[in-house]
This record gives sequence, C-alpha cells and structure tokens, in this order.
Amino acid sequence: MNIEGVGNLLRDFLDEFNVTGVRRTSALIKKENLRSALLALKRSNVDHLSAITGVDLGDEILIIYHIDCGGGELLNLKVKLPKGNLKLPTITDIFPGAILYERDLMEMLGVEVEGHPDPRHLFLPDDWPPDVYPMRKEFLEEKK
Amino acid sequence: MSFTLYVGPQHPSLKEPEHFKFEVEGEEVVKADIRLGYVHRGIERAMQDRSYPQNVYLAEHICGICNIVHSATYCQTIERLAGIDPPDRARYIRTIILELERIHSHLLWLGVAAHEMGFDTLFMLSWRDREKIMDIREMISGSRIHSAMNTIGGVRRDLRQAHSLKITEVLDEIEKAAERYLEIFASDRAIIARCEGVGILSKKSAVDLCAVGPTARASGVKVDIRKEDPYAAYEETPFEIVVENGGDVLARTLIRIREIFESIEIIRRALDMLPKGPIRERFVPQVAKAEAVCRSEAPRGELLYFAMSNGTERPERVRIRTPTYANVLSWQEMFKGCTIAEIPVVMWSIDPCFGCEDRVTIVDLDKGKTYSLSRQEMRKWSASTS
Repeated sequence: MNIEGVGNLLRDFLDEFNVTGVRRTSALIKKENLRSALLALKRSNVDHLSAITGVDLGDEILIIYHIDCGGGELLNLKVKLPKGNLKLPTITDIFPGAILYERDLMEMLGVEVEGHPDPRHLFLPDDWPPDVYPMRKEFLEEKK
Repeated sequence: MSFTLYVGPQHPSLKEPEHFKFEVEGEEVVKADIRLGYVHRGIERAMQDRSYPQNVYLAEHICGICNIVHSATYCQTIERLAGIDPPDRARYIRTIILELERIHSHLLWLGVAAHEMGFDTLFMLSWRDREKIMDIREMISGSRIHSAMNTIGGVRRDLRQAHSLKITEVLDEIEKAAERYLEIFASDRAIIARCEGVGILSKKSAVDLCAVGPTARASGVKVDIRKEDPYAAYEETPFEIVVENGGDVLARTLIRIREIFESIEIIRRALDMLPKGPIRERFVPQVAKAEAVCRSEAPRGELLYFAMSNGTERPERVRIRTPTYANVLSWQEMFKGCTIAEIPVVMWSIDPCFGCEDRVTIVDLDKGKTYSLSRQEMRKWSASTS
C-alpha cells in the first residue's frame, strides 16, 4: 500500500501524520486508538512489523512501532505514555512477530504491556531486581 | 509423556552461548523455548554515552561476521540524521564491501552447515574459498575482519585500480566454486536426506512472525531491503531477489548459494561503474534535534537502526534491531516436528548470530547490585589479565 493509502486508512485514528523523508512517515496516535489502527493496517495486508523502539524522554516514554507498509515505505507509529501510567495494550494477537519486542519494552523501560502471552525476561537475568529498568534515564543517575 | 531436553548455554555443538529448552516426545520435538541474553553487552546504552564518531567502532563490534553492514547502517542513519549525503564513490565502495561481506558470510555459513550435517570435507572446501574473500578484505582495508572502512559521511579508504583487478580475478574463482556447491547441494543424496523437508517454516508463519532475510525468502516471501528500500548504490546495480518455496533447510541452503551469484554480479557492475571523486563528506559532530531510521539487508536479513539526536555530540537514543533477533520466533516454529538428531542442522539453518541478538544494556549484576568500571580501571584490569 502506498503512503497516501495508509494516511487515508488511518485518518480517523491519528493525531499527526507527516511524511519525513524518502519512504519514511511519522505518525502520532493515542494509546486508545492503537489497536484499531493496527487492525485496520493488518486487514489491508500490512504484515511486517520491523521493530518496536522505546525511548525515555524524561517525563514520558515514547514507543515507536516501525511498520513496513510495503514497497519499502516505513511508517513510524508513535505512542507517548506518561511515566505515571505506563500501561499499553499488547499487539501480539495482531502482529505475532511483536512478542519479543514487547518483552524487550517491558524489561528495559518498565512499560506494562497488558495481555502479553509470555511476559518473562528476554535479555536480562531471571534474578534481575524488579523496578530497575536499564534503558531509563534515572538508571545512570542511580549508578553515579 | 513429554521429556525436557536442555541444550546450552554451554554446549559442545554451540559456537556461542544460548539456552534452548526442547520438549520431546520420544524422538520428536514438540516445543522449543529459547533463552537469550548470555552475550548481552549493553551496546545500545553504551552508545548514548559516546560521541557519534566513537559509536561507529562500537557498532562495528556488535558482530564479527557482519561488522561492515553494522557500521554502514549506523553511518547511514547518522548521515540521515545530520542531513549529509555521502559522495557517489563512497556509496559504490560501500556496496562493494557490503557484497564481499555477504559472500564471505554465506560461505562461512555453508561450511558450518556442512559440518553440522557431518560433511566435513565440504566444510573445509567452503572455508578455503572464503579465505580468498578474506584476503581481498585484507588487501583493501589492512584487516581481515574489522576493517573500519565506514565513517560518517563516506568511507575511510579508497579502492585502487590494482584492487579492482584482483577482486575481478577472485570473483571468477568464487563463481566457479559456487556453481560446484550448488550442484553438490542440489544432488548429493546424503545432503538431501539431511535437509529436505526438515525444519519447515510455512509462508504464512514466516509472514505472521515477521521473519526476515534468507529465512523469509526460503519460505517464498519476496523481501529484500536492497530492492525495496535501497541504500548505498543498490538502485544503480540491478539484481534479482532469490526466492525458494520449500521452506525447509534445503531451501535455506540453496537461497544462500544462489545469493552468492547475485552478489558477484552486483560487485562486477559496481566496479565497472565506480565513479571518480572524493570518498567522504565532512561531518560536524554536533547534530541538531532529529530522528532517523535506516534499514539494510545484512547477510542474515533486515537490519534496522533508529537514532534520535538532542543537539549535542552524543545521541539521545540508538535502537538496533538485528536480523537474528527478528528470526527467533520463526526458529521456535521450525523446531516443531523435528527429531533430536535434526536439531543442530535446523539450529544453524537460520544462520544465527547470538552476539548480534543480545546487546542492549550494560552493567554487570552481582547479587542484585550494579557496578561498573571507569575507563582507567578497565585499562588496569585489561592490562592485568592480558
């Protein structure tokens, strides 16, 4: 699907939609609309989730879903979560390939992925202390 | 009744540490579970504490086998972030070294796969041919493995006329050898008996589980980032995407041998068309606030780098999604229905790279306490242990 098609398909769900470069588009979405938008994409044969990135912005955590919409078009779908409420619905039933990326988000940034089928540690050891998230900004502060 | 079979993290048949838990019923594997993280070095976090040029070398050390694709993708991401375009000659040189890397990686894999099948003669032959590519890499960069060729804004060393002649000569030899391997793998009874119909990944599973690279292409999914999202000089050097429909170990083997021919063609064309001019663009190490994503087709599949800058000389965040990480779920699927004797050959059929897969966070963990070493302490420590 071309990127105009994606824009039209997701028009009702998105807060922002910007073409940022050659084959690159950035979109901002609310957490409540995330699953509906991804379901709409999946129904239009968008199958490949390249990765999920989590970034600690200080007060909030930015989650980016890198979705390949076909023809090399990469949609970076962003969700912002305030640190007070880090709950996020799972998308593993829509994109089964997201299982590991969501586990990564949970252990590295402390995002609570609701409904994840296998919420174990992925890279960190089993005895890693709870509430210590290595990709958070405060992790380095504690170390100092 | 099922029985649990543990393999790894330390195991004679594993070249790198990883833990596998297989549920077996008699000889048949019914479920596989993979535990990652044994070679986790914390590179993503480490990148946030280092400058953009320093991170080129960090990216290069994520993986030994595919170090050039890591440094190239990192550099391309930062180039996009900073809005600079590498010169044409640099793009072509990158293409040539990237494809040389693919050939050496596929030959290396072919040897390991032959070894896992118990065909050690083929293993030695394939590694003998790989050595020719390593010699070329040494000739170009002075190093067999970590060549440090890429830099932000271009490449660090130029390709001379004598290099081109030698590369062309070696490519002819590799082409002949690859033809022979294709013939052996497509006809040898022992290989077919070990590979055909083993470790099947259906097209639907490959798509659902977001498989990448040769693993996806061997299940009939026509994806190749070089074609879809071209970088370096791939737009100007046409090639065919190799696809097989078997979805088994044999298909994954044939894909890699056939890809060697495509890589040879790409290098020949790039050498013919190699433009003249400078090889690097100036990069100012302070990057204004921006974001960039870059993808490339590593020998094992789609490699993704995401970078976010914050106006300083260090990145705010670098995210790396390596191909083996994306293929772990498909891997679990492939083991289902295999016999215990088939585990090693299925295990190596995705060309796994554990070092690539595990790398996000730093700090050693000792009974729940975190600690780290300063650069001086690290030097002292490395001097005392060497």
